[in-house]
Amino acid sequence: MKIGSRFRGPRLRTKLLLLALGVLALPYLSYLQLAEMERLLIQGQSNAQLLTAEGISTLFNDRQDLFNDLPVSLEDYETLFAHPIESPVRLDGGIEDWGEVETRMQRFGAEDGEVRDGSFSLVLGERGGYLYGFMTILDDLRIYREPSSLRLDNADHVRLSFIRTDGDEGRATITLPRPGVTTAYRMQEDWRYAETGAPAKQIQGYVTETGTGYDVEFRLPLSLLGSRRYFGVAFADVDAETGEMRSLTQTLPTAGKESFNLVILRSPELLNIIEGLGYSGSRILIIDPERRVRAETGSHTIAGEPRDESDWVYKIGEWIRRFSSTVPEAGTVEEVIDASLEGGPIALPRVLENGVEIITAAYPIVSEDAVLGTVLVEQNMDEILAFQYQAIERVMLVSALILLFVFLALFAFSARLAWRIRNLRREAAAAIDEYGRLRTLSLKAERGAGDEIGDLSRSVSNVLTRLHQHNTFLENMPRTLRHEINNPLNTLSTSLQHLEHESPSGASKYLASAKRGVMLIGSIVQNLADAANLEESLQAEELEVIDMQQFLERYVGNLKATQKHREIVFRGVSHPLLARIADFRVEQLLDKIIDNAVDFHHAGSPIKVQLDDYGDSLQITVANRGPVLPTADGQSLFESMVSHRGPQSRLHFGLGLYVVRVIAEYHGGSVRAANLADGSGVAIMVRLPLVSSVAANEELRAARSS
Amino acid sequence: MQRGLAKITPGVVLGLFMTKTIAIVEDDPDQRANYADAITAKGYDVTEYDNRETALSGFERQLPDLVILDIVLGNEVDAGFQLCRDLLSRAPSLPVIFLTERIDEIDKISGLRLGAWDYLPKPISLDYLAERISSLLRIDEVRTTNQGNSSDRSRQIGDLDLNQDALLVSWKKQRINLSGTEFRMLAKLVRRPGHAVSYEMLMDATMQSFVTNNTINTHMRNIRKKFQAVDPQFACIKSEYGFGYRWSVT
Repeated sequence: MKIGSRFRGPRLRTKLLLLALGVLALPYLSYLQLAEMERLLIQGQSNAQLLTAEGISTLFNDRQDLFNDLPVSLEDYETLFAHPIESPVRLDGGIEDWGEVETRMQRFGAEDGEVRDGSFSLVLGERGGYLYGFMTILDDLRIYREPSSLRLDNADHVRLSFIRTDGDEGRATITLPRPGVTTAYRMQEDWRYAETGAPAKQIQGYVTETGTGYDVEFRLPLSLLGSRRYFGVAFADVDAETGEMRSLTQTLPTAGKESFNLVILRSPELLNIIEGLGYSGSRILIIDPERRVRAETGSHTIAGEPRDESDWVYKIGEWIRRFSSTVPEAGTVEEVIDASLEGGPIALPRVLENGVEIITAAYPIVSEDAVLGTVLVEQNMDEILAFQYQAIERVMLVSALILLFVFLALFAFSARLAWRIRNLRREAAAAIDEYGRLRTLSLKAERGAGDEIGDLSRSVSNVLTRLHQHNTFLENMPRTLRHEINNPLNTLSTSLQHLEHESPSGASKYLASAKRGVMLIGSIVQNLADAANLEESLQAEELEVIDMQQFLERYVGNLKATQKHREIVFRGVSHPLLARIADFRVEQLLDKIIDNAVDFHHAGSPIKVQLDDYGDSLQITVANRGPVLPTADGQSLFESMVSHRGPQSRLHFGLGLYVVRVIAEYHGGSVRAANLADGSGVAIMVRLPLVSSVAANEELRAARSS
Repeated sequence: MQRGLAKITPGVVLGLFMTKTIAIVEDDPDQRANYADAITAKGYDVTEYDNRETALSGFERQLPDLVILDIVLGNEVDAGFQLCRDLLSRAPSLPVIFLTERIDEIDKISGLRLGAWDYLPKPISLDYLAERISSLLRIDEVRTTNQGNSSDRSRQIGDLDLNQDALLVSWKKQRINLSGTEFRMLAKLVRRPGHAVSYEMLMDATMQSFVTNNTINTHMRNIRKKFQAVDPQFACIKSEYGFGYRWSVT
């Protein structure tokens, strides 16, 4: 039963393992669930933030006073907004340490969008009681102040104008003596000379050269300004050696407006209100319609352990998120502010430049019909992410474990299944021997199993049992037939005998042929029954140790004596070959082989009988010259009812060589037939096991002593 | 059923000629009639029975001088054995012949073990059957009338005593019970001690129709065993493989 020489599809184990790959869908499902959960959480957090924003905004509804904490109408002034600066600022001519404020620079001196020489960009900031200013000045020709010159207006300089606490006008010039620290002076009304010779030390500054002009960073204490904080900045551009001022670019209002800018700071009242509302990981901002931050509290960053970015879970999480982040192509904060200033509450997730993902919710503050501003609640999604990563970690761990377990279980299961089926197959294949005889009536493998394999085993056993019944019937057939046929045969035979006595001599010819017919039927039935009974009657035989050399020598001797017209040659060995045999049966075996050889030999050619010693077995070879075997039938010859005689031959049922095989196998031997090497005939070889001389001697001694 | 008493020959009625009565128990009417005709022709009285009950009741009225039994009677597969047991318990020396289609070794052994004198397989030669009957009756007569009186037909070969008439065999003065067939084979074997006897001659001795070498071997083995039962050292029957047997007088 060789299976597998041709591929007929995967084995059971492969199939099961392939099916097991379906388990891989498990993590994917978890992932989908996670993504959905993330969406829900973001939604939830957005709603929560929106609610917070709404709550806060209700505090400010109809509170214009909080926004306009100035006793003047803002509409009369051009305002300069001092942005809150979050980090400490060093006066070094660089704006890098100002934070986000950098982007809020306002340009002055540009006409119709065209930038001209002497124009500048300005941003104001506020931190720790100081007003900071940063100017980026365009100047194609830099003229530094001559230190010896008393006049301060014959070189490039920056003018600051303000209303002092005492209500008088204040003027100060920030001179640019060289790149580096600047010096400021209070100025007389004509902006030409300093009021006093001493520099105004409250006003500090720093200038650096850029490719297109200067960067000037300066600060002055807020206390210098009066409560109204009127303030203006101007740049006086001097291009000629003569000191003549070419242009003056200023923030000061154009005609129709007051002559000062109004510096607007964050509103302490607003701050007071929202300060208590902040919570961890969130930032609350109040923004006015001009998109300026009027109050701010809290921070995005969550106090606590920063995420370990080398963590594998984090990496896998990031990788997954990259594929499927549910954070929409997030808008900018400007969009959010725009939307909310138009009156609609909005919440959007977005990603900051440093990769932090936050949700920004905005809710407008309204007063009658006007929008006073908007409350911005920003909160990062770290908690969601942290939750998500935790979930991913758990899911992956559990998935891996389940996967491993399922694979192991399936592997074990399939291995066991395959093993069981293989066992069953082996036993089922072994249940019938090469001649088609049943060796066993029921399979032991899987007999008790309750599953389909058990069913299979039981049904195979069932089949075997029924087959056995049928076989028994067939095997008993000759014997039954003989029993049944002997009675009518006896009637026939005895009747014929009576007829013979009574009839006239003329009929005796027919009587004789009838008697021959009866005899023939009798021998046919007898032969069949003998062959059918052979295996059973062999069991009754007693074995004895016999020297086969001597046995064969005498056997062939007797054969020669009785069949003088035939040439029978024996070649034996020079020493005794002991085998445990039933002598009559081996004699019967030899009779059958010799009969076979005699039947097929060419008349006049010798029949050779040879005995060989193969160490643990002996071989009896009977060879004759004559027709050769059709090659395929080397073994089928020895089956019952197989004959290679032609149809013309009589009284042959192919039982002879079957008897040979059964007897040889009963003795633990075997028989085979082969054509002679030169193709001139056939040899039949019988192998029988030898008895070791030691065992044989012991047996003989035991037999003698008993 | 009632044929058991149908044939009462004048011999029985008169009782003057000492005609021997042969009982035939055989369920097949044709075979029974054939036997009866053949036996009657030899001058014996015949009573016929076709089943065990009628046979038993018949035997209770009168015991025959010899009984021929079939084993399978109707549906009873071993009615013949039962009848044999019953008969021999009543008359231990009654000659009983089994004449049956059951020719398996095991049946033959059981039959002979029960004490039957012979076990003849079907199909049978009627002449041979008649000869067997007369031979057994003669033996019976010799045994009953001539006990202990060694007759002329007795032979002695070494330790072997052979009485042809009484079919009696002794080995070293010990009686050995051989069946008729076995006795004849032994007689054939020892006719010329030391000379091999071929299978064919031994087959003739069995006087049965279909005999194979195997049958001869089986008989010989049984004979050998019976001798060995009284003398474990017995080794006079030698096999001549491929030819036959030899009685060796060593």
